[in-house]
Amino acid sequence: MKLLLKQKEFSVLAIILIITVILSFVSPVFLTVQNWLDIIEGNTVIGILAIGMTLIIITSDIDVSVAALTTAVTVSIGYLFQFLPDNWSSVVLIFLIAPLIGMLLGAFNGLLVSRIKIPAIVVTLGTLNIFSGLVLYITNGNYINSTNFPDSFLAFSNIEMAGIPILIYLFALVAFGTWFILKYTLIGRSVLAIGGNAQSSVRVGINFEKVKMFVFSYMGFLGGIAAIAQTSYTSAIDPNGLAGMELTVIAAVVLGGANIHGGRGSIPGTLLGVLLLAIMQNGMILARIDVFWQNVVTGAIIVIAVSYDEINHRRNQEKLSNIDVKEAS
Amino acid sequence: MNAKLSKESILGLIAIGIFVGMSLFTPRFFSSSNLSNMMFQLPEFGLIALGMMVVIITGGIDLSITYIAAFSGVGAALMMTNGFGILPAIIVGILFALACGAFNGIVVSRIGVPPILVTLGTMVLFEGVILAITSGNAISGFPDAYSLIGNGYYMGIIPLSLLILLFFIILTGILLNKSTWGRRVYMYGSNDTATLFSGVKNSKVLMKVYLYASLLAAVSAIIMTSRYNSVKVDLGSSYLLQSVAAAVLGGTNIHGGYGKVMGTIYAVLIFQFIRNGLNLMGAHSSLVDVVIGAILIVVLTFNFFSDKFSRKKAENTPEKAA
Repeated sequence: MKLLLKQKEFSVLAIILIITVILSFVSPVFLTVQNWLDIIEGNTVIGILAIGMTLIIITSDIDVSVAALTTAVTVSIGYLFQFLPDNWSSVVLIFLIAPLIGMLLGAFNGLLVSRIKIPAIVVTLGTLNIFSGLVLYITNGNYINSTNFPDSFLAFSNIEMAGIPILIYLFALVAFGTWFILKYTLIGRSVLAIGGNAQSSVRVGINFEKVKMFVFSYMGFLGGIAAIAQTSYTSAIDPNGLAGMELTVIAAVVLGGANIHGGRGSIPGTLLGVLLLAIMQNGMILARIDVFWQNVVTGAIIVIAVSYDEINHRRNQEKLSNIDVKEAS
Repeated sequence: MNAKLSKESILGLIAIGIFVGMSLFTPRFFSSSNLSNMMFQLPEFGLIALGMMVVIITGGIDLSITYIAAFSGVGAALMMTNGFGILPAIIVGILFALACGAFNGIVVSRIGVPPILVTLGTMVLFEGVILAITSGNAISGFPDAYSLIGNGYYMGIIPLSLLILLFFIILTGILLNKSTWGRRVYMYGSNDTATLFSGVKNSKVLMKVYLYASLLAAVSAIIMTSRYNSVKVDLGSSYLLQSVAAAVLGGTNIHGGYGKVMGTIYAVLIFQFIRNGLNLMGAHSSLVDVVIGAILIVVLTFNFFSDKFSRKKAENTPEKAA
């Protein structure tokens, strides 16, 4: 029990519970199954991207190009739709091609970070400019609506199983898959090892460059899946629709307990971080709080959460060093 | 020993090269109206880039810098639209910015949260505060005299705002290179533990870094609001990532410890020439972003290979000597 209480995820969960209790008094709509399904479905894109970002932040890097990368894939999907037939094979094809495009774009980031050793924030800043600039140049900033979409894709978007929209299953699959990779595969353990201590992990034989390459490519891969989710959720392609979302994604990961120093971070934590941001936004709308105050609350919560985390982290470090001193004397 | 040019001088030569190239191949680039246009656009971006550079030298980053600028602009605008004079308005604008900078500084230096996280949070926070104050509307209608700051000339040739930029270039250069604080900024950036153990109060140094960055943001905001004669929540927000790019292209080490004022200024000039030249050539405005992103990556890739090459050379020479 003590172990559970000490976990970072627990404090996020506690905050979520408190907000839930408050909001369910404020608005009777809040604590309904339909509202929660809406919240989760609406945050599938952020959630999928946040899962990929978790791996990058665990290895103490950052990727600010995610939103631009995802938009680039959505636009590619939009162009592909013109050539795809109107049957189910096009849905399958999209699920093959979109993640592949994303992975290639992510691998480009990964290559520059791992081989050329340019700091990740600089690389992804550059690719953010390149991706979004090209997208706006090609589309001219114009919206592509669903008239060109294959009917099968539109049908896919509307699938519900047991009353739960298909996107939520997709989200769950991504979350579970990534959790599995982190927990049970060699590459996943290497990600955590490099985050924990890059030098020692290289000494025990982990290929640093390969792992960096993996986390950025995997981010791109998930960007491709997020692009499908975005296209299916909005039934349209908006070249500006995701602008600035990278910061929300990073905020969600950080709220979930991943630390930019690296080494810490988990999929459940990130999911809670996404959920916390999501219910806050939803709750503030339901509570009829002025839209303009929502950013103030979100910003304040981010600052408080990271400060609290840092203070806790430092206290633990001090405790550890105390033990060392006592044992030595 | 052949005289080797510093990284910054090479960048300066590139800037001159681009300027000459653009003048030769782009009609109207080297016209007096276009040149004065560029001189008016430079200061606001240059000031923010300088502020960003100082923060990056400490190994940090300030993602909230453009919202600090917008907040300070809103402060000054509210004073003026409520009938106060220009001077009190400017002072209030600067105080607004310093308050934001102090907030960043306290969280970074006292609590020790990584700057990228703090400023990510405060960026959303400040944006929210501005939205709550302005309800997302633009504030406009400033006294005529105020518009002189961003649009006026000194002695009929040099834009006033360019002189302000020059003043802050020199000031930043002197502060970083000659003052105790400036030397400590570099020390902190290259090794904060060693700096602490040599008796430097790190938290004070950091605090001043964030205050100085916010001061530059405020000055930039005053120039921008005066030039546009209005202020909105997204005032200067396009300069955020560009200023990081300019600092890095200017040779500032993103991990801290190195960075020169002139490098950043040359990078700002390069961006300005390219943006302006491409616009005159009729290129799509989003292509400019692509070019800037590509330059950033290409230059750093080039740096990597030239470093590798010179290291190999250095490894080989001793063997030959022996």
